[in-house]
Amino acid sequence: VIPFSRLLVEARADADRVAFGREGPRDVRDLRTDVASLAALLLPFQGGRLLLHCEDAYAFAVGLLAAGQVGARAVLPPSRQPGALRDLAREVDAALLDGEREAEPIEGRPCWHPLEAPRAEHPLAALDRDAPLVELFTSGTTGAGRPVAKAVRHLEDEVTCLEERFGVLLGREARILATPSTQHLYGLLFRVVWPLAAGRPFLRSSLLHPEELLPWLEERHPFALATTPIPLRHLAEKEVLASHSESCRGIFSSGGPLPAAVARRVAAAVGAPPWEVYGSTETGGVALRQQIHGGEPWQPLAEVEADRDEQTGCLGVTSPWVSEGEARPGGARRLVLGDLVDLDPAGGFALLGRADRVVKIGEKRLSLPVMEERLRSHPAVDDVVLVALEQAGEARVGAVVTATRAGRALLEGGGRRALAKTLTEYLSPDFDRVLLPRAWRVVETLPRDSQDKTPAARLRALFSAGSAAARLPEVLARRRKGDTLFLSLRVPEDLAYLEGHFPSFPVVAGVVQVQFAMQGLAELIGAPPRLSSLEALKFRELLGPGQAVQLQVRLDADQSRFEFTLSDPERPARVFSSGRGTLERPS
Amino acid sequence: VETPESLASEIKALIVEVLALEDLEPDEIETEAPLFVEGLGLDSIDALELAMALEERFGVSIGDDPDLNQRIFASVQSLAAFVQDQRAGGRESA
Repeated sequence: VIPFSRLLVEARADADRVAFGREGPRDVRDLRTDVASLAALLLPFQGGRLLLHCEDAYAFAVGLLAAGQVGARAVLPPSRQPGALRDLAREVDAALLDGEREAEPIEGRPCWHPLEAPRAEHPLAALDRDAPLVELFTSGTTGAGRPVAKAVRHLEDEVTCLEERFGVLLGREARILATPSTQHLYGLLFRVVWPLAAGRPFLRSSLLHPEELLPWLEERHPFALATTPIPLRHLAEKEVLASHSESCRGIFSSGGPLPAAVARRVAAAVGAPPWEVYGSTETGGVALRQQIHGGEPWQPLAEVEADRDEQTGCLGVTSPWVSEGEARPGGARRLVLGDLVDLDPAGGFALLGRADRVVKIGEKRLSLPVMEERLRSHPAVDDVVLVALEQAGEARVGAVVTATRAGRALLEGGGRRALAKTLTEYLSPDFDRVLLPRAWRVVETLPRDSQDKTPAARLRALFSAGSAAARLPEVLARRRKGDTLFLSLRVPEDLAYLEGHFPSFPVVAGVVQVQFAMQGLAELIGAPPRLSSLEALKFRELLGPGQAVQLQVRLDADQSRFEFTLSDPERPARVFSSGRGTLERPS
Repeated sequence: VETPESLASEIKALIVEVLALEDLEPDEIETEAPLFVEGLGLDSIDALELAMALEERFGVSIGDDPDLNQRIFASVQSLAAFVQDQRAGGRESA
């Protein structure tokens, strides 16, 4: 194993494979030539800052190593979102981008493809272990995310530790198939830095679908897979791993909690559960585990010391590659993370959940308060609370909003959808797409408990009615007595605004109240009613948002005539509307 | 026999259902409009969910070519064409 800092100066066979993929194979000779050429081009930016974002992990590696050669640091934007890229571009000297990059400079900074530098000579040197090499961003949430700088030694020491732990298991010849983005620490280390240092070829392409791994698995070459829980779940469910168990040397998962069921499925397919890696941008890798029963304790990596912080009850991490926190002798640092922890006497630990309001969506972390603050700055939003929801088995963000006057005007014009669209577009330059709220609720007042907190369970209940909630009232209870159906309903806050005729005094329009009655009729008939006539319609009291309503619908035995009343369940004499009508005969 | 229009409608309904898209009727999805980022604004988690659902519903299988997958998942129209192609291919080989 070659220390990462000496990668380009230690004797290595020119023909050793560095990277492979649809873009073509590259060997050590190519790497040296490409790094030297780019370094020659980057000389004017010695000691500067270079924006680096590549889909091709080999191009990324060339950019990273060339930056190191000229003593510059690579600034890794968390995503390709135009907003994030533009903001960061103002703070760098030049940009290195591949793929569909804009040909012209960004924000006046020159921009190059790392592999398109004109061929040039540049003497390759060992990297200074203490020099800052990369700048990553925590949480991947906002364009303004906090930068975390890593020196060469932080990366080198961690991958040396990983290699000592896994080198024999993986073997020299295993190829590295990795799906996470190189812009975050896990992808940076597992997809590029570790394979480079260990001399294992890595897959160049960034993959959207785990199926795109298949051609490489089919080659029956020994491999190790580094991925995140969502693609791993899909691979496990599709049962593609079993037919490649012979060539599988190891599977790594990080970036979010891995369900034990997925770990067991992978174990059944390849003979061993995945190695889960727990860590953070600031601390790097902290601990490992393999789940079979579920909830097995985390075991700190060699050289990592885990403690329980007295004041916060959160996990404290000390290691040579922790790059923030209090300095310890020998270059190590200790940082307290936001995860509550329980230490076990055997030296492992269990995580008990987040102490703050940070959630993980996909493998991206989102600080709910940060997005809430951003939403509050929009003129349509009076106040907002975000909550993590589960949709189709994945975590998603839901937003509960109280609207300002401007927000109500939006709702009246185009309904909840118009408001959602406006606010989603407002957030999208700064937040990754997967983090954008998927469901929106507009309420009169935010639900708060006695401590003025917004209880997550009550917030979630607002979303449980499902997607039809925008048009239909919430059904709280139903009772049937002979030919009459009684439904206890609640008018959703956003429905009233949508249909309201008076901006300052939202009411449920009469036509919508009739729809409530039709909903009751549909339940009685077991099919959508086909209305023939409506008579004696009376609207007496105004029906407002959040109001509880009792709907009473009676249908004649021959299913031709019906009558309905909408009233206040607390005061039955207070009738909002009533009417009767006839239905078309079923054909 | 399934027409291209009915297949497209079925895919639109599947998208709304599987991805739990709120305040959106299947008919409102434009057949030719991009599904990801601009257009409907789906994201990478949606891409995986949608792929699984298509495989389940239509018995198709997503291939291993990233460029091709990107073209297939471009719009409802391209998805419908993909489903139809695979079905035609499937019948011949059966």
